[in-house]
Amino acid sequence: MSDFFESDAITKGYDAGISRRIFNYIRPYKALVAATALALLVGTAGELVLPIVVRSIVDRALMPSWRTVGTAAEPAPEAKDLHLAGDEPRVGGSFVIPTARIAALTARDRAALEARGLIDALDWYYCDLSTLGEPGRAVVAQRSALFLLEGRHAIILSRDLKTLTPAEARSLRSSDLALVSSLSFLLLAVLLVVLCCAFVQTFASSLIGQRIMKDLRMEIFRHASTRSLAFLSRQPVGRLVTRMTSDVETINQFFTDVIVAFLKDAALMVGVLIVLLSMDVRLALVALATLPPVLIVTLISRGKARDAFRRQRQWVSKVNSYIAERLSGISVVQLFIREEASRREFEAHDRELLGASLGEMYVFATFRPLVDLFANISVAVVLWYGASLLSLQILSLGTLIAFVNLIRMFYAPVMDISEKYTLLQSAMAGGERVFALLDETERVPDSPKVAMPSSIRGHIEFDRVSFAYKEGEWILRDLSFSVEPGEMVAIVGPTGAGKTTIANLITRLWDIQRGSIRIDGYDLRQLPLDGLRKAVQPVLQDVFLFSGSIEENIRLGDEVTVDRMRAASAAVHADEFIDRMPGGFAEVLSEGAANISQGQRQLLSFARVLAHEPSIIILDEATSSIDTETEQLVQRGLEALLAGRTSVVIAHRLSTIRHANRILVLAEGAVAESGTHEELLQLRGLYWNLYRLQYGGDVGLREAGS
Amino acid sequence: MLKEYRSLLPYLRKYRWHYAAGITADILVDGGNILMPQFIKHAIDLVATGEPDFKALLATLLWMVALATAIAAGRFLWRYFIHGSSRRIETEMRDKLFSKLMDFSGDYFRKNKTGDLMARATNDMGAIRQATGMGFITFIDGVFMSTGILIVMVASAPQTALLTAIPLPLVTVLIIMFGSLVGPRFKLVQEIYSRLSEIAQETMAGIRVVKAFVREERFASLFAKTNDQYRDASMSLVRVFGFFFPFIAFLSGLTTVILLFAGGGAVIENRMTPGEIVAMLAYLEMLIWPMMGAGFTVNTLQRGAASLQRVNEVLQAEPGIVSIPGASREAPRGDLEFRGLTFSYEGAASPALHDISLVLPRGLTLGILGRVGSGKSTLLRLMPRLLEPERGMILVGGLDVRDRDLHALRAAFGYVPQDSFLFSATVAENVRFARPDLDQQRFERIVAISTIDRDVAGFPALWETKVGEKGLTLSGGQKQRVAISRALAVDPEILVLDDALSAVDAETEDRILSALLEDRRGRTNVIVSHRVSTLRNADLIVVLEEGTIVQRGSHAELLAEPEGFYAEIARLQELESLLGHPSSTKGGEGSV
Repeated sequence: MSDFFESDAITKGYDAGISRRIFNYIRPYKALVAATALALLVGTAGELVLPIVVRSIVDRALMPSWRTVGTAAEPAPEAKDLHLAGDEPRVGGSFVIPTARIAALTARDRAALEARGLIDALDWYYCDLSTLGEPGRAVVAQRSALFLLEGRHAIILSRDLKTLTPAEARSLRSSDLALVSSLSFLLLAVLLVVLCCAFVQTFASSLIGQRIMKDLRMEIFRHASTRSLAFLSRQPVGRLVTRMTSDVETINQFFTDVIVAFLKDAALMVGVLIVLLSMDVRLALVALATLPPVLIVTLISRGKARDAFRRQRQWVSKVNSYIAERLSGISVVQLFIREEASRREFEAHDRELLGASLGEMYVFATFRPLVDLFANISVAVVLWYGASLLSLQILSLGTLIAFVNLIRMFYAPVMDISEKYTLLQSAMAGGERVFALLDETERVPDSPKVAMPSSIRGHIEFDRVSFAYKEGEWILRDLSFSVEPGEMVAIVGPTGAGKTTIANLITRLWDIQRGSIRIDGYDLRQLPLDGLRKAVQPVLQDVFLFSGSIEENIRLGDEVTVDRMRAASAAVHADEFIDRMPGGFAEVLSEGAANISQGQRQLLSFARVLAHEPSIIILDEATSSIDTETEQLVQRGLEALLAGRTSVVIAHRLSTIRHANRILVLAEGAVAESGTHEELLQLRGLYWNLYRLQYGGDVGLREAGS
Repeated sequence: MLKEYRSLLPYLRKYRWHYAAGITADILVDGGNILMPQFIKHAIDLVATGEPDFKALLATLLWMVALATAIAAGRFLWRYFIHGSSRRIETEMRDKLFSKLMDFSGDYFRKNKTGDLMARATNDMGAIRQATGMGFITFIDGVFMSTGILIVMVASAPQTALLTAIPLPLVTVLIIMFGSLVGPRFKLVQEIYSRLSEIAQETMAGIRVVKAFVREERFASLFAKTNDQYRDASMSLVRVFGFFFPFIAFLSGLTTVILLFAGGGAVIENRMTPGEIVAMLAYLEMLIWPMMGAGFTVNTLQRGAASLQRVNEVLQAEPGIVSIPGASREAPRGDLEFRGLTFSYEGAASPALHDISLVLPRGLTLGILGRVGSGKSTLLRLMPRLLEPERGMILVGGLDVRDRDLHALRAAFGYVPQDSFLFSATVAENVRFARPDLDQQRFERIVAISTIDRDVAGFPALWETKVGEKGLTLSGGQKQRVAISRALAVDPEILVLDDALSAVDAETEDRILSALLEDRRGRTNVIVSHRVSTLRNADLIVVLEEGTIVQRGSHAELLAEPEGFYAEIARLQELESLLGHPSSTKGGEGSV
């Protein structure tokens, strides 16, 4: 639910620094990037080839046309652009050449040739009788009135060709039909290549995204878990989790949805442009005439979409947090009879959200149809201009058809450019938060001056230690005491005297500001942090159990053998209840470990510590009152745990205190009294008062006097 | 599924003209889209003659642009009407849901997690919007576009059209299959994703244990392993996605191949014109969308039905505690009485309160002391009917609280809850929560009583300072004092303080209590506290233990019972104040 209250920025404009850092994570995956790029290029090329193949089918197979050029033109200078070689088919005093070659003529040359009657505007269909099959030759023979024949060459006017019956046309144009099938197969092959490329590209780019996510998540995880507790305790757990999960996910979207799509769109648009320009420069320029207005519309709508998106997201989170908050405080709302007022307020918020959503919808509802309209206008203009070029024989029908298709292809990526932009914004905001966490340098410095001694005897010394969690609020003031190896020292005192703090300091969960803490004569800061933490084990007041089996919770990995786990559990008498569990050590603890009692939790944590065989144990006894039976259970475990080890116990139970070799009475961050139980009672000071009050009466708050 | 959608009828009826206009616009757009290739065909056929009739061509092209403009306008209109209606319906349903939630009693919220209710107000509403907007339109599109296009294609070249359309139904089948393939994979990805967050959550929550046992690497490797699982699950989803959409594009391309192969032959054989081929190419491209849309519609409508069901569950639930017909609307005044009051929480082994009987004459102050879980808060919550007693009754002015109008009853109480819940608004808005029109004079008086005014003087934006937002979070004591002022603002007949001064130091507490009791003279107060210094001002003090009253009397009387719990606590607290560390000051170190 904390998510609903999260008020982090949702979007952020493009930031070169952030995207550069995001890009750094691609580096290790060069091979995959190459595969993606290759698939993307080949796939895009394939998509571009499709309309070209369609054009070939139309121009070469469906609508082939020839023109006649008078043989007298061969030496004419105006005809040099026709590159007549003289070996062209010759029919009735004219060469027969494909219509496309006429396009090479300049307008003046063409006019000159037309004036001399050497060329005209009649389209012909040409067939070579020597390669034509028997049925084809039969058609030519039967319909000889329509054909001009000379040797093995035959031509027929295109408009006459259309008067042939289907059967006649089939016979005459068998080679065209064969070309249609072979080009169709080529098209099919290209489609298959595009299919494979699209798959490879999606797969490879997603794999890159997944790997980057893992890298980032691991980096954040390792980074966060090595920060100091001072830092971590300031961070809500939910926020750290969000960094590792959903924020990383937005960065992944940046890769898979924005970058790849952008490259693909860009490649396609550039490709279309190249194809258009290579097919016909004039027509291409005309087709692009609608591009400037589209660009303007895109720019405007991008700005509007960004604002609308941001406003919508803001109101979504406002509405959500309003609901979450009113539900959490429902009894306050009902007690003060604010149900109606809350409804009105909520409806007002919800109206704002509606307005924002509608605003966003209007942007898209206007933008996409507009781009589509421009695409259609483009097609119309191209058809108009193309028709005039075509009538001048400088453009083929196939090219015109290809243009119509390519223009649509060109404008399609523009349609969802605004959506991409909003994804980019989320990724930027996510990246900023992630990197802010990764830039956090606060950690307990681990720069050991000496190697960890092979064994720690267990001497602890606090030498004029002062410590504050917050600057100026001293918890410990000039605290000095020492604990001999094997000794058990109990610390007692009222709440807030700094008892728990002492436990945190010995394991260097925090560093002290003044003085020195030494173990076996080494200052804590000189020892390697991991070695120190293995040697000194805290038993925490609030037992934290991970979800998982009992075994996993005791062993915490493979360092502790199963035998040691069993021995430790037996020593603290935890095995008695574990064996009664249906799954024994394999019993899975449910969420919050609700299936075991408070006392059993304590025993598990004792077993955990004992199994790790530390030299020094720091025990923070639970303050919560527990029943007599549990009390005895825990006490037996405790004795086993502490036997033969140096221990510092923050004591709340009389039985524990009585077992201690020495008792320190802490008040206001300093040792007020010190000695054995008997010595302190004789002092008749603080301890005596505490003892008398807590344990003297029959109805003691803690029934520990048993 | 239909049953669930029936609950949408009132909304659909309300927006029927919007829907009608939207559907009309959409059908016109569909018609326009079907017509467009005809113009292109006509234009190309004109051009293909080699000597085009430019006048006819121009007319055709102008018609084409006009049609394109009409299509653009139509597209805007259907979005405006359909999306607009679906978002309005979503808003109205959410208003209704929220309104309903306001009436539920605490019982309901114990059974239904806030997170789940939130999901109904957000995700489920989104799914309903999808079903009433996009799902609706894809359905209409699917029906009109596909039948329209197929008719036109078949009419122009039946044989080629039918041959070409062969792969198309496969697209719909594939999309529906796609749904069933993606479903379980997506669920797996979601599950692993939440496991991923759980591990992160657990490691960060248990970071002290992790650090103490030097297990950072072990948890990192666990996290890494789950990350790998997440990658594998995601990639298995990607394999489906990565194959399906390109495959659909391939099928679409395949129709083109069939068209060119079959249609090309037809053109050569003079059975079709080139323009018809181009028009058919455009139609085929257009047909893919409704074919895919048909599949998506099935998925969207199914999800929408599931969400509607979840929302309807809330809307149809009984609110629990309500006024009975003919309840007294009179403002409650008079003695407060508990008569044989017994209450148990659902599923609890023993009652939280057992046979509580007590009379508090009007104008007196009742103090309640007891351990955690002894039933103090439960007793308080029963008075304004946040809970209903199992047996026995509570009377105010001689009338059972259940015979009073709920609002009239609650208006008589000024309640300071234990958690002193504040809303994220300004400090002033929180104080005026129940009385936005509170006059300035009274406002100043009640903030002086709780002494919150002294603290506010030091806030950056004074009374306009936001509570609970980043940067400035009020301390526990400040929150409690704002909550006290909030309760005083209603000038209640009965003021209830549920351990409302626990985070305030003893000296301030003294000052607050004396000013408060002065202000409250002549009216009833009920004060729960674990501090004897608070309770000694009460006229009558009761000690609760395991839901029953074990001691009752004045401060002096209770002190005179040395064996009693009250006297015991009094002694202990005296010592703590002696040591200069009252247990009440902020827990500081323990909370880290």
